[in-house]
Amino acid sequence: MNVSEKVLEDILNKYPTKVKRNRKKHILIRDPDQDRQEIEANTRSIPGVVTNRGCAFAGCKGVVLGPLKDIVNIVHGPVGCGYYSWLTRRNKARTDQPNKNFLAYCVSTDMQESDIVFGGEKKLARLIDEVVEILKPNAITISATCPVGLIGDDIQAVARAARTKHDLNITAYSCEGYKGVSQSAGHHIANNGLMEKIVGEGEMEEPPGKYTINILGEYNIGGDGWELERVLTDIGYHIQAVMTGNGSYEKLKNAHVAQLNLVQCHRSINYIADMLQVKYGTPWLKVNFIGIRSTVESLRNIAKYFGDESLTARTEKVIERELAEIEPQLEPYRKICSGKTAFCFVGGSRGHHYQGLYEELGVTTVLAGYEFAHRDDYEGRRVLPHLKPDADSKNIPELHITPDENRYRLKISPQRLQALKQEIPLNYYKGMIEDMNEGTIIVDDLNHYETEEFIKALKPDIFSSSIKDKYITQKMGIPSKQLHNYDYSGPYAGFRGAVNFARDVAMCFATPTLNYITPPWKGKPLLEGAVGPRSSDPGIKEE
Amino acid sequence: MPASESQTATYRSINSNPCSMCMPMGGILPFKGIEDAMVIIHGSQGCSTYMRRHIAEHFNEPIDVGSSSLNEKGTIYGGAQNLFHALDNIRKVYQPRLIGILTSCLAETIGDDVEGIARDYLKQRRPEGVSLVAVPTPGYGGAHSEGYWMAVKSMVSHLALPTKNHGGVNIIAPNLSPADIREIKRILSLVDLRYTLLPDISDTLDRPIARTYTKIPPGGTSIEAIRRMPGATATIQFGLTVEEKLSPGCYLQSEFGVPLYNLPIPMGIEATDMFVSLLMELSGSSSVPQTLAMERGRLLDCMVDAHKYSAQGSAAVFGEPELVLAVTRTCAENGLYPAVLATGSKSNELEQLLSPIIAECPQKVHFLEETDFVRIRKACRESGANIAIGHSDGKYLTEKEGLPLVRLGFPIHDRVGGQRLLSTGYAGTTIFLDRVVNTILEKRHNDYRAAMYRKFYRKIREETALHGEVR
Repeated sequence: MNVSEKVLEDILNKYPTKVKRNRKKHILIRDPDQDRQEIEANTRSIPGVVTNRGCAFAGCKGVVLGPLKDIVNIVHGPVGCGYYSWLTRRNKARTDQPNKNFLAYCVSTDMQESDIVFGGEKKLARLIDEVVEILKPNAITISATCPVGLIGDDIQAVARAARTKHDLNITAYSCEGYKGVSQSAGHHIANNGLMEKIVGEGEMEEPPGKYTINILGEYNIGGDGWELERVLTDIGYHIQAVMTGNGSYEKLKNAHVAQLNLVQCHRSINYIADMLQVKYGTPWLKVNFIGIRSTVESLRNIAKYFGDESLTARTEKVIERELAEIEPQLEPYRKICSGKTAFCFVGGSRGHHYQGLYEELGVTTVLAGYEFAHRDDYEGRRVLPHLKPDADSKNIPELHITPDENRYRLKISPQRLQALKQEIPLNYYKGMIEDMNEGTIIVDDLNHYETEEFIKALKPDIFSSSIKDKYITQKMGIPSKQLHNYDYSGPYAGFRGAVNFARDVAMCFATPTLNYITPPWKGKPLLEGAVGPRSSDPGIKEE
Repeated sequence: MPASESQTATYRSINSNPCSMCMPMGGILPFKGIEDAMVIIHGSQGCSTYMRRHIAEHFNEPIDVGSSSLNEKGTIYGGAQNLFHALDNIRKVYQPRLIGILTSCLAETIGDDVEGIARDYLKQRRPEGVSLVAVPTPGYGGAHSEGYWMAVKSMVSHLALPTKNHGGVNIIAPNLSPADIREIKRILSLVDLRYTLLPDISDTLDRPIARTYTKIPPGGTSIEAIRRMPGATATIQFGLTVEEKLSPGCYLQSEFGVPLYNLPIPMGIEATDMFVSLLMELSGSSSVPQTLAMERGRLLDCMVDAHKYSAQGSAAVFGEPELVLAVTRTCAENGLYPAVLATGSKSNELEQLLSPIIAECPQKVHFLEETDFVRIRKACRESGANIAIGHSDGKYLTEKEGLPLVRLGFPIHDRVGGQRLLSTGYAGTTIFLDRVVNTILEKRHNDYRAAMYRKFYRKIREETALHGEVR
């Protein structure tokens, strides 16, 4: 039994037998000798284990719809859920239309007991009238919270009626919190709604630029998207729509004209990427703009897809320039970070993406995982044919998409597509496991108890997760780097983002604060009175 | 009410930028102030995740809240099985002695009888030394402030047992910061009086970094002490705005005959005087501890120093009803009168309690309940308020209306140290007033040149321009 196996056994043994059996399937020790390592994912969390997962509403309104800036996202329900999803993901937006940035607004029907008893449809309809009158948005979405579905409010009908009445794109999302097993269900519901009712609403028939792309699954947390746009625009790409960071209805409705879709967060947006491929013939390319090597690789892959010499040359020139700018800046941080270890547990993509960036700084990821990902995010999309739908996934409708009669365009020939697929991840994501080192631990849906136990056992130098668990490790004397909202820092994507990340991580290691945890009188004979040298180790290691 | 303008949510259907959260959110907080306690939300897991996130951000502390992780199946067949599992697992991993079970929109809408499920659980599992406290907190039932009181009341009604008079005093605290609670405890320690303070978050939600991390932070009100509350000589509750049906103090009075002294939060000179006088009376002591007398004197000194600047303030005070009352009283004592008084809760008592201050105000006061920040912003603009006092969401008043914000209350999510904000007692009030007055001064200094420009220079230019036109 190697170290990891022993650690794992000890941790799981504390659980009741049934829970132990369940959790064991969600945890893997990486063994590169095995061709395929299976992990269980996207199944129900165990009640009471204090999971980090959220709900379908969080995935739909909070993640996918929330960042759309010229849309008013109405929350139909009691006031709490609207409040809790009020700009909490730090998705930034810059408006190009005065008075059309509604990100700072949290609009809720604030249902009361009487609305639950008598129904809230009328209140919702009145509220839409008021929103149209007061805020004049370019579109409106309505997201349902738990009680809405239970009391039978037909938000789809309210949306349809309002759409006719106001001649405005108004869509409803039945993303009640109890649907599915995590926020992942909400991503799917939002993807369906955007695809069915918004993408393709625009009049555009042809791409407005020579190399027109959409960026999917980029939420502009801390300005990540802006850093990508800077580089992509510089190379010569025309970015039609971003889903959904700094995104807008105005751009999104014409997303069908793009020649290529880039997929950054595979988990939250792969549905729409697939559907765009079927309906409009637009292939998607898995990219990763976190980390320098993967940013460079992604840029080269995009250029390869377009296969244009001048574009390739321009890409190389920009890469060279950017590297020359950031390499000297990174050097001092690398010296501080080198040789450290990290836990990397985030959402549905970043748990994978950030490992590369850590590695470039000399930090080894010893444990990684996703909060709400599916098996394909771990094992790669090759596992998709083997996935059986269960009761929970069946509750989320699958749209049946067919090629659009007028707008389907073959973007590249099937032969070239097949040839390119051998070289670049076109319509494919290989998943996290393949990139992980032997003996590292992969945990799906890590909970509060396991976090603490794994930290005690593996003693990482830094813990990367969310605000909910960061204080556990900080209390234990281990620095944390939050990767959901970046501890109010960022951007971390692209070239310049890597420098920000390196600076922030190095700062965690370099801060003198943790050296003071052990008081000078500990373990010293008090009567001698001399002030001993301070310990340089964080407290946890001395136990 | 003569100089006040009352308006409620019924005017509009829209709640835009809310000034309140939901009931279970408030319900979590008091359970975090009980020794060896855990809390579960019976509902979909998003509820507990969202609330953990927000509470953690305020206190900068780990906030463990379990969930029964209800899904579609639970909505059809009821959630009892999930709740049983959740309780089993929480017990195994956390070994709590008390588990609070809060309901959510979902549990209430499907009509789960959580009390009944909890009873069944105890009957079937017979867990030794574990108490369960079920609290009905539907998200649509009220704001977080009501959830807070509902949870405290439920703890008392579940745990309290007939007890012979033990001569101690019950202190029941509203949603204050750990630093505030610590200050109240310090005052109590200066008086010869045994007490039970409920809930006591002073250590649990402001936990020192220390060796050996424990899953449940040490500290909090002990369960035994809560059981013995009916044997107290008196209950002091800082909850003037609390409805009778949510009031733990009223419950102890009506069920066990413990006399209730319902006081305002001991903040400001008058309210702290009331608290200290009552402590003197209850402890039978004739003289106030020297330390407190000195602190009172220093507060007065601070107020005398500050009043010239305070009077230039015109405040927008918002937040939970009890805190709005305390802040408004404190400010008015120093001549800083309110222009806007607002709460996201529905409080039958608040307007009545504020009416003497509103009547004294030199200006018209906008009183808003069940309100949101769009309305508060409008009222600020109309009334010419020049300083805002309340929780972090008031940052919109700064961004949009240029009102400087003195952060106080819950949640503080855009600054560190929400857990350390101290405003109670004579000493805490002094710190609070300094913060308020310095904010007024800072704004004044920053605006000085612009204000002078507007007042004199631009006027001259405009006059010149006007003459030019006439000519």
